[in-house]
Amino acid sequence: MSCEGYRDKLIVALASGAGSLDGDVATHLGTCAACEKFYEAQVNLFGAIDSGLRAMVNEAVPASLLPRVRARVAEAGTPHGAWGFSWGFEAVAVAAVLLISVGLLKQSPDSRNKVNDRIPVVFQGARDAKEVTPEQPRVIAAGPKLSSSEVKMVAAPSVRVTAPEVLVLAEERAAFEKFVKNLPEEREVAVAFTRPATDAKDEGVEIALLQIDELDVKPLESANR
Amino acid sequence: MRELVLIQPGRTLEGPTAREHERARADREFEERLTECGPLAFRVAYGVLRNAADAEDVAQEALLKAYRNFGRLREPARFRGWLVRIAFRMALDRWRSVKRREKRETQGEQSEPRAAGPTVEELAVSSEFQARLERAMEELPEKFRLVLLLAAIEGYTLEEVSGMLGIPMGTVKSRLFFARKKLAEKLR
Repeated sequence: MSCEGYRDKLIVALASGAGSLDGDVATHLGTCAACEKFYEAQVNLFGAIDSGLRAMVNEAVPASLLPRVRARVAEAGTPHGAWGFSWGFEAVAVAAVLLISVGLLKQSPDSRNKVNDRIPVVFQGARDAKEVTPEQPRVIAAGPKLSSSEVKMVAAPSVRVTAPEVLVLAEERAAFEKFVKNLPEEREVAVAFTRPATDAKDEGVEIALLQIDELDVKPLESANR
Repeated sequence: MRELVLIQPGRTLEGPTAREHERARADREFEERLTECGPLAFRVAYGVLRNAADAEDVAQEALLKAYRNFGRLREPARFRGWLVRIAFRMALDRWRSVKRREKRETQGEQSEPRAAGPTVEELAVSSEFQARLERAMEELPEKFRLVLLLAAIEGYTLEEVSGMLGIPMGTVKSRLFFARKKLAEKLR
């Protein structure tokens, strides 16, 4: 190894604060006067750096520092408001998150798809039938003069309506209209109509036996009298 | 230190009493931290600013800031690390603004002579080498500089420096190594 290599090695040793040099470096220093001189200069340099750094930071702390801080702390008042604020803020944040979570949990898929107050009626027979939004349930009353082709047009898959459709016979149209008109007042009925049936299987209904607490039997003669 | 609180029979510690008790406890804890870490904040600031008055101002500000945030800095190790970093950053900010002001002043007609000349002590300490060392330090990246300063403060081991900065011991050693090597290159 050249002298340059040994010098690099000894700088690494000094910079890392290693107490001793590697064996080969120490041997080289014993045989090379120039490197020995370089090493001594580096030891002095690192020593000066360390003492310079110590002088830089180990300045005597002014006696006034802590009393002045205490005075300023007393002036500023206790930061308990700030601590309280931080806790209060955290509490409010947690409460808000909880409320939102509970709200989302409560909003079941059934309730999300709940029926609108006003269910539009579209008469297929009428040419000026209004468009309905896909979210709204659509009631179609089949007119008496509908041809089969017109019915096909209604049932065509190109109509992108996700809401349920109801076909009503012409003679039942008036009654159905009345029923639909009254639906907003009878929301439970509307919900029952529009909600899908539950998957639960029908189970037998148990009827309790008739119980007679007291039986007053009177003689026939007295009853006739 | 554990505390005993006397409560009347049949009464619980709640409401304003509990809050006052908590305040008093927090104040005592802060006083402990202040006594322990106040000098550290000053030394870190002094290592950057090299001016006792400025360093004292910065340390005060840093400690006041720590007091305001004491609610989340009550753990001693966390408090010390936070204080060291904030004092270092504030000192750097102050140092930069001082440098900018000096630059503006020297760009004017003639730089005014310093109001107060260097004291005998300042003259003794500020040898040519010290001045070069300070300049070399200013050129180091901040993370190397902070580790060098903390490692040079008396009474703190490398392990404590590692804890203060929240970095592994190996990182502290490698930063120290590169910082010392760089300083030596600049000063050689």
